[in-house]
Amino acid sequence: MPTTDQNNNATPPIIWDLPLRLFHWTMVASVLVAAITGYFLPDWWLNVHAYAGYVLGALLIFRVIWGVVGSKYSRFKIFPLKTEQAKSHLANLLRGRSDPYTGHNPVGAWMIVLLLASLAALVVTGLVVWGGQENNGPLSAVVGYRLGSFTEEIHEFFAGFVMTLIGIHLVGVLVETAIFKHRVVPAMINGRKPAIQAESPVTVWHNLFGGLVFASVIAGLVYLAATVGVSQAKTTQLPEVYRQECGDCHSVYHPSLRTAQSWQAVMSRLSDHYGEDASLAEQKVAQITVFLKDNDADHFDTEVAHKIGRVDTPDQRMTGTRFWRKKHDDFKPEAFKHKAVGSKVNCNACHKDAETGRFDDARIEIPKGVKS
Amino acid sequence: MKPVLLTGTLALALAFAAPASASPLLDQYAQEAKSASPEFKGFAADRGQALFSSRHTTGKPETPSCTSCHSDSPSKAGLTRAGKVIEPMAASASPQRYTDPSKVEKWFRRNCNSVLGRDCTAREKGDFITFMLTQ
Repeated sequence: MPTTDQNNNATPPIIWDLPLRLFHWTMVASVLVAAITGYFLPDWWLNVHAYAGYVLGALLIFRVIWGVVGSKYSRFKIFPLKTEQAKSHLANLLRGRSDPYTGHNPVGAWMIVLLLASLAALVVTGLVVWGGQENNGPLSAVVGYRLGSFTEEIHEFFAGFVMTLIGIHLVGVLVETAIFKHRVVPAMINGRKPAIQAESPVTVWHNLFGGLVFASVIAGLVYLAATVGVSQAKTTQLPEVYRQECGDCHSVYHPSLRTAQSWQAVMSRLSDHYGEDASLAEQKVAQITVFLKDNDADHFDTEVAHKIGRVDTPDQRMTGTRFWRKKHDDFKPEAFKHKAVGSKVNCNACHKDAETGRFDDARIEIPKGVKS
Repeated sequence: MKPVLLTGTLALALAFAAPASASPLLDQYAQEAKSASPEFKGFAADRGQALFSSRHTTGKPETPSCTSCHSDSPSKAGLTRAGKVIEPMAASASPQRYTDPSKVEKWFRRNCNSVLGRDCTAREKGDFITFMLTQ
């Protein structure tokens, strides 16, 4: 099937269709965003990390579909994945030879399969962590804290694995370009490999069809998100008496931040409340104590309930827990004296959702001038 | 003679009623103060100011003075040790203050204990509120 491209010697045929190339570079961008936010930026970038994950998930779903219905060289079934092919290609490489392939070479094809599989594992484990540990996303209602926290280890393992694969992939590209003079980078930009004969080159219909497939993937995901509904972690209405009596002096702590025993200890000696007389009418003390005990850390499955709430300290201080200290260790003591903060126990100076007990990473806003 | 007496009593009653109407709480504190000491002659803003700004040594070490948390000026907002903003103490800046007797009593009970290490007398409470009403 001769095309005008083939008749003109200057422009070789298009091997990589436009949808595939767009997929490749948007994936590069989203992996880059996810890697930078995951490895280098503070916790409150976690929502950006998660959005990058959602984009990556949509791209991977598209790529799998496109691997079945896309143009010839995008399809998985044309990938040279047989063991003998990989072996002979590797042997050739060691002898300083790399035969040109119209599509992927065997080692490259294996790299793509491994990359796609481990990126998919990253997205799935990421969703589990996002749902279990952070109470966010589609899995927040079904995954508990412990599973989420455990899965974070697996997520981190795959992240390291993907980084290694990307490193090898880049070395491969460099070797192909510099040693074997295969122009693989321009090919992923304009879709053409010089001096290559293509059996069924890409047409504009592939591009339109690819756009349609990708739009369908997005529409499907949006529809799912809208119908499944994201159920948030259980929250509790803080009663007015609690809000008023305790909130007059300090930020209103969510009851999930301490255990029933700790709350009992605090409420039973209000006349010496961390150096101040916070005594209350007996009836109010009883009312508030019941509320706190009925909604204590054991009643919530959030990260703070597990890491701070369920950890008792000698004086009941939340700031005495290891998790609290670890999470705040990059703040100098002066930071807590800043007038926008006031003290270590003024949680909602930075945690805008402290009163809900969620403590989402994304809701952290450090006031200007606090961190110098 | 009779109408003069009547007018005089009326004038006296009005003079007495006028400041008391500024806060119903003051009436009660005045009564208590009078029964505690027959020499009681009314509240004084300057005594209230002294109570507010002086440093005391009998309370908890964290809070030697009202100004530890309420800032040096009644018209400025204060900050609790836990970092929560406290509305200014001056009645002109926080008009809702000194209107709810149970709230006023609760804070006198707690804060006199924290700052002075004892309950405040009715006269001290009245002096304090009288000072804050002038601010």
